[in-house]
Amino acid sequence: MNNTLLSLTIAILFGIGTFLILRRDIVRVIIGLGVLSHAVNLLIVSTGVFAGTKVPIITDDGGHGAAEATGTIFTDSLSQGILAPVLAAGNHVDFVDPLVQALVLTAIVISLATTAFILILAYRIYEEYGTTDIKELRRLWG
Amino acid sequence: MISLDTHLPIILIATPILLASLMVLLRKQPGIQKILSVSVSFVMFIVSILLLLQVWSGGIQVYEVGEWGKYGIMLVADLLSSGMVVLTSFVSFLALIYSLDYIEEKSLSASYYPLFSLLVAGLNGSFLTGDIFNLFVFFEILLLSSCGLVIANEKGGVTKSSDKMEATFKYLVLNMLSSIVMLIAVASLYATTGTLNMADISVKLSAMSAAGTLPWYVFAIALMFVVVFGNKAAIFPLHYWLPDVHPTAPSPISAMLSGVLIKVGAYGMLRVFFLIFIDTLYIFKPVIIYLALATIVVGAISAVAQTDVKRLLAYSSVSQIGYVFLGIGFGSVYGLTAALVYLVNHAFAKSMLFLTSGGIIHHAGTRDMRKMGGMVDSAPLMSMMFLVGAMSIAGLPPMGGFIAKFQLFDAGITEKYYFEIAIALIFAVFTLFYMFRAMLLMFWGEKRDVNEHGEYSTHGTSPLIALPIIMLALGVVVFGLYAEPLIAFANATANQILDPQLYIDAVMTRVVR
Repeated sequence: MNNTLLSLTIAILFGIGTFLILRRDIVRVIIGLGVLSHAVNLLIVSTGVFAGTKVPIITDDGGHGAAEATGTIFTDSLSQGILAPVLAAGNHVDFVDPLVQALVLTAIVISLATTAFILILAYRIYEEYGTTDIKELRRLWG
Repeated sequence: MISLDTHLPIILIATPILLASLMVLLRKQPGIQKILSVSVSFVMFIVSILLLLQVWSGGIQVYEVGEWGKYGIMLVADLLSSGMVVLTSFVSFLALIYSLDYIEEKSLSASYYPLFSLLVAGLNGSFLTGDIFNLFVFFEILLLSSCGLVIANEKGGVTKSSDKMEATFKYLVLNMLSSIVMLIAVASLYATTGTLNMADISVKLSAMSAAGTLPWYVFAIALMFVVVFGNKAAIFPLHYWLPDVHPTAPSPISAMLSGVLIKVGAYGMLRVFFLIFIDTLYIFKPVIIYLALATIVVGAISAVAQTDVKRLLAYSSVSQIGYVFLGIGFGSVYGLTAALVYLVNHAFAKSMLFLTSGGIIHHAGTRDMRKMGGMVDSAPLMSMMFLVGAMSIAGLPPMGGFIAKFQLFDAGITEKYYFEIAIALIFAVFTLFYMFRAMLLMFWGEKRDVNEHGEYSTHGTSPLIALPIIMLALGVVVFGLYAEPLIAFANATANQILDPQLYIDAVMTRVVR
């Protein structure tokens, strides 16, 4: 994660989400969960190759000849301290890490499903009790 | 002709997912739905036993989905995961039989069967997967399908649906938070090691550890996994959702949730900590042990004060999962063996007790134990079965719970955890106390006919309700009287867990095609 602005954005989103899920109104709690899950999505994207030129992995800068990569995306060499599935240092990377995109797509779809479920649940709770205040919903306390 | 026995792991996950979509299409034909889902569930039980036999004779089985080698998603069946799959299939088969007569016809044909199939798929998937992100995906399948099942109605409307919705809301919010934490942990692991395959992560972390370059935040990631699996298993500071969700669910679903679903947390702890974070275990062993002790204490004390029979059983689940985690925290072969024996025994006994409590509630027409009494005359089968389950949970011979508790305490004493064992022993006496208080209130004393003016309409005991309870009770007694095979199996499993090299060797020989 080499982008300071991105890190700052993620941190602020986590802060807003945490603030919102501590509110008394269940709708705000749900919005807070949505903000948190998007903060996590940003975090996942930021763990991949973001700028298109660098790998976000512990690389060995000590010069163990890490450049002798085969050029495939699956090079890793434990003896040289390269723990990456992507390219070794020194190779030019034109593509963004595809795995984080697959991960973030899955995470987005899953958070969509859970958010849809919990919104319907909140609507039914509102129908049943006529309130969205957590203090009036007894079971949420005990 | 494809030979099927090399495809057993994927069959165990794909069949329930296919069945779920088929059940949505068949919602107008409840008869076909019932026959199909029960028979497929039985076939799955057979398949899971075949997988276990294959693993037992042929070592760890690895199934590559899509033939991407170690970089794709793999399904790995070792003794632990295939054993858990057998347990899941058995309990879910019995719960399906039970729900034929127990769940209301309307919700049975609408959403019950698809969601139940998805629950089974999620359980099998999270036990079999070898990819840590896939574990998260299966956790979400579990979460959503179990939320839908908690809201299903049973005959006679034993629980108000508004109570169910509040409990589900709490369950969903807390579990969404834990899945967010899990995503953070998975993303951090990926950023550290550049892989999601659990065996690969293990290799890379141990290489870093051997080189002395294990980053400090690996400990933070491990702590996040404690939080995630602790939330799934409902250990102490994270257990507040369980006593609401498990009692408000219909009884067969409570049996699945308390019997199998909270064991996913224990399974994840065993898998992640003894495979991936084995180098951080020296810090986390005491953490797990003391969280487990706090869980035992809080669960047992809360259970004593309950008046609602299913709530008592739910708090008892909290307390009992603490014993499983205590065995995991000891971290020795003997400790893990004891934890696994305890886990299996608790799954059988607690599923049986929840199924029995469904029968009891319908017989008495109330959930309040203070309003029951004298049921030993009016419901002899239920009272006998509750006695069997209560004796097993409390750890009295000749039930399986005695063997499990004996093994656990013996393991603790061998490992010289005297103080911890003393606390666990004191609160094991509490178990005896709350279980027999429940027995006393429900079955003995003056006979009260709450049946006629109860708040719920009644539904008598039918053979389909009695059969699963009796089969589980047989299991409980057999594990108590003839425990050697189970202990030998648990011992082999514990040895396999403590030797992660076996797992790594089975997975890492793959090449990219």
